Amino acid sequence: MAILCGGTIGGLLLGATPGLSPTMAVALLIPFTFHMTPTHGLMLLGAAYTATVAGGAISAILLKIPGAPANIATALDGNAMAKKGEGARALQICFISSFIGGVLGILVLIFLTPVLAKWALGFGPSHMFWIAILGVTIIGSLDSKSVIKGLLAGAVGLWIAMIGYDSIQGVERFIFSEHLEGGVHIIAALIGLFAIPQIIEMLEGGRINRQYQIIKVQPHSIVAAFRETISKTRAAVIGSVVGVVVGLIPGAGGQIAGLVSYDQARRFSPNRDKFGTGESEGVVAAESANNAMVGPSLVPLLTLSVPGSPTAAVLLGGLLIHGIFPGPNLFVEHADVAWAFINSLLVGQVLMLVFGLYIAGLAAHVVRIPPPILASGILVLSVFGAYSVQSSYSDVVVMLALGLGMYFLSKYGFSPAPLVLGVILGPIAESNYVQGQIIAEAGDGMFAYFFTGALNLFLIGLVVASIVYSVVSEIRIRRLEPRTGVAS
Amino acid sequence: MSQQDQVAGRFQQCLPVLATLALGLWIAYESFTVEDPQPYLFPQLISVAMIGLSAAALFRAIRGANRTGVGIPLDLLLRIAPGIAVILAYVLVLAPQLGFYTGSAIGFITLYSLYDPNPHLSVRTWFTRIAITAGFMLVIYLVFALALQVQTPRGLFL
Repeated sequence: MAILCGGTIGGLLLGATPGLSPTMAVALLIPFTFHMTPTHGLMLLGAAYTATVAGGAISAILLKIPGAPANIATALDGNAMAKKGEGARALQICFISSFIGGVLGILVLIFLTPVLAKWALGFGPSHMFWIAILGVTIIGSLDSKSVIKGLLAGAVGLWIAMIGYDSIQGVERFIFSEHLEGGVHIIAALIGLFAIPQIIEMLEGGRINRQYQIIKVQPHSIVAAFRETISKTRAAVIGSVVGVVVGLIPGAGGQIAGLVSYDQARRFSPNRDKFGTGESEGVVAAESANNAMVGPSLVPLLTLSVPGSPTAAVLLGGLLIHGIFPGPNLFVEHADVAWAFINSLLVGQVLMLVFGLYIAGLAAHVVRIPPPILASGILVLSVFGAYSVQSSYSDVVVMLALGLGMYFLSKYGFSPAPLVLGVILGPIAESNYVQGQIIAEAGDGMFAYFFTGALNLFLIGLVVASIVYSVVSEIRIRRLEPRTGVAS
Repeated sequence: MSQQDQVAGRFQQCLPVLATLALGLWIAYESFTVEDPQPYLFPQLISVAMIGLSAAALFRAIRGANRTGVGIPLDLLLRIAPGIAVILAYVLVLAPQLGFYTGSAIGFITLYSLYDPNPHLSVRTWFTRIAITAGFMLVIYLVFALALQVQTPRGLFL
């Protein structure tokens, strides 16, 4: 329980801090879990994941700076409410809505995951190979503004995973520095790729004195906030349903859930003209949606080992360092750990509600930490985090090299999520490819094994569809650019 | 956007793609020229994908069709360069030579002071900086040394 409380409070504060994304917050927490049992470690990560998404609303409401992209829609009405002196009311409604959406999302996770996992139990190496490739192409296509660059980042990630000694024959591969002899550890890669670029981004402004226009939070009755949220049933239902549906689509993310739900709630509301001016229905719709997507976004991760979001990709890394391979066998080999993790998400929602209602005032101070202190603190934490996993200084050097490289690549439209996923899924893809090759050579050959059969063709179809869909979307956006003036 | 800006953008867009193309070619060379190809079968696939995708991205960059990423203008580079220098000095020199905690404290206060907008000549500013650094390092020590019992490398100092 102490771990869950710590994860929730930490997640709320980290989520509320502008510049700290939920993905980076979870990545920075993983080294701490390394010293815990798998069950405790995953409970901490689950609670932190849930809380960071909700915590991002605090800065969205009080500063109009969303803590995460998922909270963009929350800022529209939440900040308008805060400016009217209703900051506490907005925060309370936000956490109650997050709780409603979050619980519904976790229930979907609880009921859907075992069904899908049972179906996926019959998967062979060729299917697992295509699933690993699907994971990279989905995140590479949907999480990047450029499909080619997303896929390219995924390929670079797959190569990084190959550095070190080959797991089957022990052959040395691509070791061009003494620091790479042990390969690239997942945690060093996660911290480097997500934290170091954000540290440098915080320094981009130079010595500018950023004074946040923070709004003072006036006391407000929690009971009244509960009554008001429950009276906005339509917005809560729209938000929760949209969040669940969007969450189940790998790569779609909380930002889409929040914005789509906000738009639909406005369309069906009799107060649609008041949206954007401090209408609490807007906060209910946005927050119930971005928390409802948390549970369903983990369904493809836990059943097929395909992360539905960048944060889910980081959680996959957290599972793997504890020796737990998510996928069809998760509920057979590690059912206790899997269910403890899922249940911690549910309990995490209750704790998020309780702490969220009372911690918002404290979080208002946390969000004011100046970027230079935040950047220096994250840097030291990253160095200690990367080192503590294997007590290897090479991990620190590798972490820094990957982080600096990622910062420069991000300036040219490359995203860290597909690269991370490549690093994580690389060994899975390779081992299944090699196993498949052995089976294929004893049977009808490589083509027959990897490219025939209904499931293989279905998975290949999904790989192609994820790329084609993103290419078509990219072309459509590009055609709209000259007319709308929207820059990519 | 002027024509000159467009050309500069195209040139900058080509740089990372040329880097990935070079990487892909090197991986292909390493993977296809070994005596025993078995451990390199998967890297061979990756290298082919990387070369193909890099070539496509390079083609788009030359045509000016790569419209993602703002690039790194000189003024931005000048603003981040001191910070990157401190980060490199901290990780590559200070922490291994002076000890993890001493190096981290120096790295923390240097990076913080470099980008802190408060006046450098004020005693109050330095008192705040030292107090925040000491407080943060104390928390780090309590968490990593005492709670997690992580043995960190020692240099001249702790």
